[in-house]
Amino acid sequence: MNMIVFVKRVPDTESRIRIQRETSTVIEEGLNFVISPNDEYAVEEGLRLREAQGGKVTAVSLGGDEALTILRKCLAMGADEALLIKDDRKETYDGLRVARILAAAVRTRFADADLLLFGRLSVGADNAQVPAMTAELLGWPQATVVTRLAIEGRAGTAHREIEGAVEKVVFTLPAVVAAQKGLNEPRYETLKGIMAAKKKTIPAVAPAELGLTAEDIAPRVEVLSLETPPAKTGGRLLGGTPEEAARELVRLLRDEAKVV
Amino acid sequence: MMTARRPEFIDALTGIVGAGQVLSDPDCLEAYGHDEFSLKDIRRSPDLAVRPRTAAEVAAVLKLANEHGVPVTPRGGATGLCGGCVPAAGGIVLSLERMKGIVIDPANQMAEAEAGVTLIEFEKAVDEAGFNFPPHPGEESAMIGGMIVTNAGGSRAVKYGVIRNYVRGLEVVTAAGDILNLGGKLIKSSTGYSLMHLFIGSEGTLGVVTKAVIQLRAKPALTRSLVIPFETLDAAVETVPEIFRRDIVPLALEFVPLDVIRLTEAHLQRTWPSHDGETHLFVILDAASEDEMDRLSESVAEAALERGALDVFIADTAAKQDNVLAIRSRMYEALKAETIEILDVCVPRAEIPGHVKRVSEIAAKYGVWLPTFGHAGDGNVHTHLMKARYENGRFVPVPEAEWRAALEPVRAEIYADGMARGGVISGEHGIGLVKKPYLAMSLSPAQVELMRGIKRVFDPRGILNPGKIFD
Repeated sequence: MNMIVFVKRVPDTESRIRIQRETSTVIEEGLNFVISPNDEYAVEEGLRLREAQGGKVTAVSLGGDEALTILRKCLAMGADEALLIKDDRKETYDGLRVARILAAAVRTRFADADLLLFGRLSVGADNAQVPAMTAELLGWPQATVVTRLAIEGRAGTAHREIEGAVEKVVFTLPAVVAAQKGLNEPRYETLKGIMAAKKKTIPAVAPAELGLTAEDIAPRVEVLSLETPPAKTGGRLLGGTPEEAARELVRLLRDEAKVV
Repeated sequence: MMTARRPEFIDALTGIVGAGQVLSDPDCLEAYGHDEFSLKDIRRSPDLAVRPRTAAEVAAVLKLANEHGVPVTPRGGATGLCGGCVPAAGGIVLSLERMKGIVIDPANQMAEAEAGVTLIEFEKAVDEAGFNFPPHPGEESAMIGGMIVTNAGGSRAVKYGVIRNYVRGLEVVTAAGDILNLGGKLIKSSTGYSLMHLFIGSEGTLGVVTKAVIQLRAKPALTRSLVIPFETLDAAVETVPEIFRRDIVPLALEFVPLDVIRLTEAHLQRTWPSHDGETHLFVILDAASEDEMDRLSESVAEAALERGALDVFIADTAAKQDNVLAIRSRMYEALKAETIEILDVCVPRAEIPGHVKRVSEIAAKYGVWLPTFGHAGDGNVHTHLMKARYENGRFVPVPEAEWRAALEPVRAEIYADGMARGGVISGEHGIGLVKKPYLAMSLSPAQVELMRGIKRVFDPRGILNPGKIFD
């Protein structure tokens, strides 16, 4: 089975994000960057499918040269090959633009792909658009928020985590699957893997080489502003004896919070 | 009636610390009668618990207690493991829980923290100011004062030392109620005896630490954790000197047995990177750049693979590092319900393989389970005395008569082996009550007698934490 896993470089989920208000961008200085955690589930799932059924896993990222680091991590985890689609633009938050580029890459470079694996959404942008849009552009079936996946022959079964229930869907290959937390436990890189990954070259292509025009890749979403959420206000400590504190708490719950 | 329970004494204390800060209700006092040590045998509720807010209040309480000869046991986060803050002679427990001031001095790269600041509060403040405080004794509700008077260590001691290496100044209240300011925001001092260092590790027997000046470091640019499985314990611990020989000093270098990893995974519902082999090394590296980090990791891996490591797993994202660190630091929590006592023997680093081997012989001899892991990098070995065995992935309780019978000889034999290897009975937990009977195995009568003399100088009436370290 020929699998393409799409991965995005994002700030570590534990980083404290600072914003450059003038340019409406995230200040990258001092941030650690990682593979978007949902994408890591996608990589792991691809590797598990390959280990069980054979085939090939190719990791693909859209971004600048910085994205090479996460592609190398995918190789260290066990991906066979990697490809960088070179994009000089910073984060555009335009999911359709990304989907157009990825769909073009699939048509021109991975026409024989059986399965496209994505993370459910990239941490940071939180759009959750790209997997579904890529599937639409290709005319392929899709399953998003997937917490369980089985592939038998040309048929796939996926469990989707929806509000209050688990939806089970079947589809035929080629297909698009977007991974949700719970799908698997991503493996740790091993040093042997890292050393082997270092020896591999990661080719890069420009959108133009995928048959895309400047108009195709122009963003159609404009970010007007980017602001950090207001700081949480501190909690309140109730003093006095336990009896007094309890009485005050009940009073506040009734009169201020109006919950009792 | 004991002096401490007399209404006029309670009134005088209330006059010092204010209403609500002198506790005499037996239900409240029970919580002040123990630390983390699991056996009920050593518990004792104090007559009173007093919660001062300032050093001046601490001084007034001590002056009053000293005049009346009432024992005073200082208490921090009560996360100790040897009964150090148990009020063995009754009297007052002096809880420093309300002393929570922290001031960071970026220009001197030091912090001033009051005794009741917890490790987690301290780390948060230090981190927000852009600095780092390396010592990490595990339990994050431990308080600054308690960490100083036990000279706490933790797994990062191998590279950055124990808390003694970070204390630059102390505010201490003596038994007579004098407030001493020792040291300061200074790197150097050749000005008389260092009284400050006497208080570090004194377990509250010489005075009450109310505030400390603590050296901070710059934040490490990058950290990475390695998990390295080995077929045997020997191969794992014999890799340790090979790592140092390559001039690499990891932030932490721990050895952990697979059975303890497995039961901690089950306890926390987390997954460790590998289930291969029998013993794993857990290594944390810090470095200034990715290239330097790669060089260090490769060198550690090379040393490990030469010694037969099965593989080397890498955690370099915050999430993965947190995961492996959580499993390592909460092993105690997973074992806690069935733990009698955690031993804290520290031997010269090269003696670890021999000592751990001897522990497994002792386990076999007495038919007990002695899960043993610890700081391979600094020689500090934590053998857990258990009241259960671990069979087929679960705890099997051992009858009390049986584990009690084995307790004493097992402890004595482990200590004897540690001492024969040039070790001490406590590397980082302290002596307290529980290890007191064994102090003579570590220190000569002349040394203990000098310590008694020092104690008499600072606390002539013997009111401060009586019955601890030595009698």
